Amino acid sequence: MDIFLQALASAMTPMAIASIGLGALIGLIFGSIPGLTFTVALALALPITFSMDPVPAIGLLLGTYIGGMTGGSVSAILLGIPGTPSAAATVLDGHPMTKQGNASIALGTAVIVSVFGGVFSLIVMIVSVDLVSRVAISFGPAEIFALVLFGLSTICGLCGGSLIKGLISGAIGLMIMTIGIDTIDGVQRMTFGSVNMMQGVNLLVAMIGLFAVPFIIEAFAVKTSMPEKSQRISRVKAELPSIGLLGRNLWLMIKCSVMGTGIGAIPGTGGAIASFLAYDHAKRFSKKPESFGKGNIEGVVAPETANNAVTGGTLIPLLSLGIPGDPATAIVLAGLMIHGITPGPALFMNHAGEVYGMYVAVVLAYLWVLGLQLMGIRLFVHVLKIPRELLAVAVLVLCAIGAFSIRNSVFDIYAMGAIGVAAYVLVSFRVPITPIILGMVLGPTLENEFRTAMMLSMGDPAIFYTSPTVLVFFSFALLVIGLQAVSEFKAKKQPKNEVKADA
Amino acid sequence: MTKIKTLRRATTGLLAAAAMSFAGTAQAEFPDRPIEMTILFGGTANSIAQLLTDLMSQEMSQPIVPVSRTGGGGAVGYSYVVNTPADGYNIVWNSNSINTGNHMGRIDFNYEAFAPIARVSTEIPALAVNASTGWEDLSDMVEAVQASGDVLRVGISGRGSFTHLTSAALFDALGIGEQVAYIAYGDGRAPVELLAERIDAAIQWPGQFASYVEAGELNVLAVTGDTRVNVLPDVATAMEQGYDVNISMWRGLAAPAGTPDDVVAALQAAAEAAVMSDTFQEASGNIGFTPAFLPAAEFGALIAEDDAFYGALLTELGMAQ
Repeated sequence: MDIFLQALASAMTPMAIASIGLGALIGLIFGSIPGLTFTVALALALPITFSMDPVPAIGLLLGTYIGGMTGGSVSAILLGIPGTPSAAATVLDGHPMTKQGNASIALGTAVIVSVFGGVFSLIVMIVSVDLVSRVAISFGPAEIFALVLFGLSTICGLCGGSLIKGLISGAIGLMIMTIGIDTIDGVQRMTFGSVNMMQGVNLLVAMIGLFAVPFIIEAFAVKTSMPEKSQRISRVKAELPSIGLLGRNLWLMIKCSVMGTGIGAIPGTGGAIASFLAYDHAKRFSKKPESFGKGNIEGVVAPETANNAVTGGTLIPLLSLGIPGDPATAIVLAGLMIHGITPGPALFMNHAGEVYGMYVAVVLAYLWVLGLQLMGIRLFVHVLKIPRELLAVAVLVLCAIGAFSIRNSVFDIYAMGAIGVAAYVLVSFRVPITPIILGMVLGPTLENEFRTAMMLSMGDPAIFYTSPTVLVFFSFALLVIGLQAVSEFKAKKQPKNEVKADA
Repeated sequence: MTKIKTLRRATTGLLAAAAMSFAGTAQAEFPDRPIEMTILFGGTANSIAQLLTDLMSQEMSQPIVPVSRTGGGGAVGYSYVVNTPADGYNIVWNSNSINTGNHMGRIDFNYEAFAPIARVSTEIPALAVNASTGWEDLSDMVEAVQASGDVLRVGISGRGSFTHLTSAALFDALGIGEQVAYIAYGDGRAPVELLAERIDAAIQWPGQFASYVEAGELNVLAVTGDTRVNVLPDVATAMEQGYDVNISMWRGLAAPAGTPDDVVAALQAAAEAAVMSDTFQEASGNIGFTPAFLPAAEFGALIAEDDAFYGALLTELGMAQ
């Protein structure tokens, strides 16, 4: 208790509170602007923290991380361009809500459930870090492979009309990620002797291309008629979700928080898989699954709760095992180490004060995010008043800057353009884009874990059916695929029956 | 009123800057504009580089700006810098990856395309096993493995990675190279896999093991360099234990070949001052590296010596191209 009070004192200094708030603001801005990503924001914030005291320094980084994770939903909902890969699932229902004029409700819900998920996961993390990290250790390559395969099976629920088109899209995502130097064998694949291809396609660059470029092309290709334009403006309002709406979704929020925390705790997975699994879960257990993809609020609640619950979850392997879950937490890890806080089992013995300080910092960061974002919604919705053509120009510039800034590579701007044009073509053939992102996020993990598992077993496939955990995930995946296949089959049969009846 | 003042001040500033840059070109006083340092990797490499640029900027009249150009195992960044003018305004935060990258066919030029400036730091790999094995040093492990005749599963980051090359050299020197199966993880997850006993041994960086050693969960049997590491002062080097292995990863600075000697000397002096500073020495313990300044000439000799070593090792492993 003494240590906790000390930590509270160190985290409640004006300096610490201000730096957490600054971080949250930077994260929100970078996360919410399409093209700019909070991973870049973290990289920029890192050198600033060198000369700061440990708690404000970590607070700044955690604030940026949490702000960015939450801010990613803003452009996902308003423009249909996710600010982070974890917000890709939010586009599916959040953007249709905007089209229906409910942008502010979607945004408000997103930030409130994000805070709920984040704080929930932090509490889980505080009370059970030891237990959860022991469970996480038991996840070897085979188990992670099975989990990721299960995550990939949610493509079934994302492909809208045609399962085949969804699979095509998913396979494209998987294939894109094989470009570059293979991390397991160190050989070059699909590089065609080009140094630029050797760096592979960056996930964030691809995401910007996939979602932002079709938005830009559409803005110029489709002539907006005047009546529709005025309609857009009149529909902009800043209305917050009601308590009742949140109350109805409380059970879903709790389920998705558990899911997000659990997935976040497993090294090598991250926000994207959690948000897609949560979305799929919400759709499957919803009373009105057919309304998903058309602006169902549950489709915003589920992924947003889950991806922020990941923030607490990833702190578990980060602090107790020293393993960052994604590029963003890797930068947080660097910040910790520079201040002499080496994560690992001994962390809680040596730096209990700093660890408790971090807990307080996370809570403060969420309070900041909640305050800033709820105020911000009033401003954000005005973005919709801007004519699409003008908005598209701004998005284009920001995306080019964003794509370049991730690796300071001009090649990435071209890659963004090429992927974007390809995405526009796919969209016009009604091939869904989201499975590409899912394939890209999960592809490298899926492949690497499979190969590592096979190396561990010396080539014996038994490693995949002797572990109970693996079998559980495999059966989940099989169930999801089976259910989808059955419903596809029924849907195909239905019209034929009707025709028969008519005849 | 204040607006006018600021405007005037800005104009004078601009004029002064313009005048200075003219003077700069006339006298060619290095540096007369900011220097860009290309960083090839994230993680520890990036942390040290950020700190180093900060400290070197304090030593020079112009800032040194870190720019991250990662990917392709360093190939992207090396290729960028090698094509810049040899005037010292583009330098690279390099490492042994210049040797391995060339021998593995990722870059089509070798270390000779760069002029060495200074070695800055070294990182020494360490070999760890689960504490439940009861092995305390290298000979415990060698005896146990030879007696059992079983395969030893060794975790590495990826084939051709520095931890793989170190493992290959170490296990050859231990005489049990034939009994080793390498398990490649795409990232630094090996310590956890060791904890879960899915692998038997792993070579990673000492900082990754330190916390587990303190908690009594892992034993570190040896470090592979010629000196002990400050994170784990009780762990003997492989050489102390009678095995002839000396591998450590160095990091340093280089500029495109043909950079004038006085420019290299100015950069070398700034690097030396930065490495010797208290801030840098203090940070080394936290981040997990050893400050190890070497001047340009000796650094160049080291790179050349290493090049032959890694060339031979990669050929032996069948990975050279």
